[in-house]
Amino acid sequence: MRFKVWLMVIMISLFTRVAFAQESLEAPPGFASWDDVLSQANGQTVNWYLYGGSDAINGFVDTFYAPLLAEEYGITLNRVPVADTVDAVNQVLSEAEAGVAENSGAVDLIWINGENFFTLQQANLLYGPWAKTIPNSVLVDWDNPAINLDFGRPVDGYESPWSSAQFHFIYDSARIAEANLPRSFAELTAWIQANPGRFTYIAPGPGGYMGTRFVKQIFFELSGGQDQWLGDFNPTLYNGWAPQVWALLNDWSADLWRQGATYPANENEMRDLFANSEVDFAFTQEISGASVYINDGRLPETARAFAFTENMIGDFNYVAIPANAAHKAAALVLANLILQPNLQAAQVLPENGFGLGFGIDVSRVTETSDRLVLEESAANLGAGAADPAELAAALVSDLAAEYQTRVEADWEAYVLRR
Amino acid sequence: MSSADRVSSRQLVLLLAPALVLVLLLFGGGFAYSVLQSLGWQPLIGRTTLSLDAYHNLLFAPAYQEVFWSGLIFSLWVSTASTLLSAVLAVLIALLIHQAVQRSQLWSFLFQFNLPVPHLVAAIGMLFLLSQSGLVSRGTAALGLTTTPADFPVLVRDTSGIGIIIAYVWKEMPFIGVIVFGVLKSLNASVVQAARNLGANGWQRFRYIILPLIAPSLLSSSLIVFAFTFGAYEIPALLGVRYPRALPVTALFLFNDADLNSRTEAMALSVLITLVTSMVIGGYLWLRGIAQRLG
Amino acid sequence: MAARHRSTAWLRTLTLVFISMVLVAPLIAFLLNAFARSWFYPHLIPQQWTLEAWARILSPQSDVLQAMGNSLLIAGVVTPTALLVGLPAGRALGLYTFRGKRLVEFLLLLPAIVPPLAVSMGLAVNFLRWGLAGNWVGVSIAHLVPVLPYTILIFSGIFNQYSLEHEQQARALGAKSWAVIWYVTLPLIKPGIVVAGLFAFLISWSQYLLTLLIGSGRVITLPILLFSSAAGGNNLTIAAQAILFTAPALLLLLVTNRLLSTDAVSGLGRL
Repeated sequence: MRFKVWLMVIMISLFTRVAFAQESLEAPPGFASWDDVLSQANGQTVNWYLYGGSDAINGFVDTFYAPLLAEEYGITLNRVPVADTVDAVNQVLSEAEAGVAENSGAVDLIWINGENFFTLQQANLLYGPWAKTIPNSVLVDWDNPAINLDFGRPVDGYESPWSSAQFHFIYDSARIAEANLPRSFAELTAWIQANPGRFTYIAPGPGGYMGTRFVKQIFFELSGGQDQWLGDFNPTLYNGWAPQVWALLNDWSADLWRQGATYPANENEMRDLFANSEVDFAFTQEISGASVYINDGRLPETARAFAFTENMIGDFNYVAIPANAAHKAAALVLANLILQPNLQAAQVLPENGFGLGFGIDVSRVTETSDRLVLEESAANLGAGAADPAELAAALVSDLAAEYQTRVEADWEAYVLRR
Repeated sequence: MSSADRVSSRQLVLLLAPALVLVLLLFGGGFAYSVLQSLGWQPLIGRTTLSLDAYHNLLFAPAYQEVFWSGLIFSLWVSTASTLLSAVLAVLIALLIHQAVQRSQLWSFLFQFNLPVPHLVAAIGMLFLLSQSGLVSRGTAALGLTTTPADFPVLVRDTSGIGIIIAYVWKEMPFIGVIVFGVLKSLNASVVQAARNLGANGWQRFRYIILPLIAPSLLSSSLIVFAFTFGAYEIPALLGVRYPRALPVTALFLFNDADLNSRTEAMALSVLITLVTSMVIGGYLWLRGIAQRLG
Repeated sequence: MAARHRSTAWLRTLTLVFISMVLVAPLIAFLLNAFARSWFYPHLIPQQWTLEAWARILSPQSDVLQAMGNSLLIAGVVTPTALLVGLPAGRALGLYTFRGKRLVEFLLLLPAIVPPLAVSMGLAVNFLRWGLAGNWVGVSIAHLVPVLPYTILIFSGIFNQYSLEHEQQARALGAKSWAVIWYVTLPLIKPGIVVAGLFAFLISWSQYLLTLLIGSGRVITLPILLFSSAAGGNNLTIAAQAILFTAPALLLLLVTNRLLSTDAVSGLGRL
């Protein structure tokens, strides 16, 4: 008899642990539980400030998230387009300066990462930590430094992932054969010299963080590896290799597009140059490579993507909630929703999504049907996408933030203005 | 300037008060904030001591000075060239339309056509047309004059600001033109005819009759164009290059920098820009005052 | 003499045609881009045509029509306000000399010559403090800052050429002040009102930074959408939105041109 009771106690405790596994998550700050969040969110409007330059992303948000939020959670989604995330950051900053009351901010959720995240973090204007308190956070690989560090700075739970991106290249298969593609900066140097005027890169600087990445990758290759660059900013290491990098870029100048007198300021300009045959390569961060743009008609149908054999920087982008947000509950629900497996699977598809990668870790998805949808999506990135295995093999993480500042300032001083 | 009329100061105050109050409150308040910030006032990041450091940095510190001085020269060059070209072309065209008695209404409408076009749209339009793979280049390719985009001359995103000047002239020439043309319409045709009968040639008619009539409006609208082009960032941001770059673009970069301390320099730069345009305008008003007193 | 006149007239017309082509050319480029799905070098006309940009704009989910409504509302409020405030100020500056006039002129002209960044941020913070941010009323008030200098400038130019005789005669005949204004002053300066109103509308219509900062993202106007799309670099979307943005303003231009060309009001400076 006592044994049966004991067995029952064990089984019940096992059962309860499984059934209430979710409740081992803490509640977001200011809320009693996730249920509390849900009930407060019901009837709220969430003002989501996100970059509005992509029709695909706008359409995806309006088509996939908005109806779901309304039907299942009673939340109205107000997507606020901004020309640059820094505009949303400035709004939060201005409100702080003006002393706008807590819970009266105009911004509820921001699509954010990198420098912009840092600006708000350093001014203590973000709500949190909340990222590990939302149910779907179990699907996020928070142990991965590529996720828990944003441009080299700790996330500390103040933002939650949405999607991922990795630097690589686009080329036109009608102009260059796959076998002739450069697969390293050494090979690229040779290619540039053999094809003067046909290559350029994005200028490192404001709006040109992809150019900064490009240059950082040169640092990795020249110095023989990315590992030594991880961790805090290392001035000796940087100053040791910088002269060689600038020398290489200056060597390229004469054979670059416009003889290096000017460089495209951002990804769009570079892609237009590529599409109009002024140069033969473009940069991309999207896991779907050229596919979204081929679908749009913005790139020729023969456009394809490829990666070098190593040193292709990848990172994640996030959503964050300002400390003075008026509708934090709704924002939390939305941040949780975008991590839902079926929605994550939809977002990578070029035809309805924006072609950026998963924010969640597929291996953590337990539901088999969800797993299948995710894997199927990953296999359908379109002809314009690079080989995922290629990308995975070359993946490296980004560095401490100080490298970004130094590279941008020094590039302008030693390469552009030389 | 018509004869000075007797008007009570109370009446004057009533007439001017609404505008002055609005300007001082709104504009003054906003500008005062910028000046304060340029002196280092940023309580949000704990800076409350005032100093002229930011101005000193911009002018002399190695991190900023090269960008500042090259930007100053570049902005001055672009604004001066744009203003002069716009003014000269505006006068020429206004004269042409004025003399084209037939269908002058249609012409004058056509020349106002791009007034509603915002500057950003003008800049994008210039890119469509004038980039090395733009429409004009495709035209020359079709005519066999060029074969690749690289054969076409660099007209936008060039280091001399040619593209910026073209965009500004395209946009501002009609602005000045509308104002000058409006004044020309009031020109009494019989006066001109009398001058012609007395043997005055085209140039003399222009110099002694037309020019004095349009000079005030021409000058004031040109000054506005100069000031506007000197302080605007949209067109140089899109059609310019990273170096040399116009001062307002640098100000925006500094303002949006992740390091909030740069906002001080951003505002200092904005104030310096204002100083330059104020000097130009103030100088004109002062000179005009002298000219009037000399008769 | 007649022959020479004819040939110079011909040359004049040719020059005018050429210049109007130059002025219109970028707009043609926009028109083509608004329907072009694929259009790469060296093709002179789009390789693939599409209506998808317009379908997107006119779809129920689109925010374009709402943005247009906001733009119209704000410009529609700013214009009469600017006229109401600018007319008296322009009259004072155009008709009279007084001590400190140059200073007043300078002060009133200042908003037109100061870079937007130098004013907008401070204005935004103040409006946030005063509760005027995030709504169309606050945005409309803010728009007065760039608009007023132009209306004042135009009115002062009008009143510069204005003769007070008619008003004096009317008053001598016993008309009250308001009657003088309504029946004498306003009709005489009608072209000025039309031009000043046009400029006021156009400047408010194309404001971006002020609307962005004062509106706090809650007031979406057409320039906000346009700048956002421009950042995305999709020429198709940009062109379609640019056309939608420019069209109403062009319409207004047409209307004001008609108003300005009728005989009764010809000649800004005929007074």
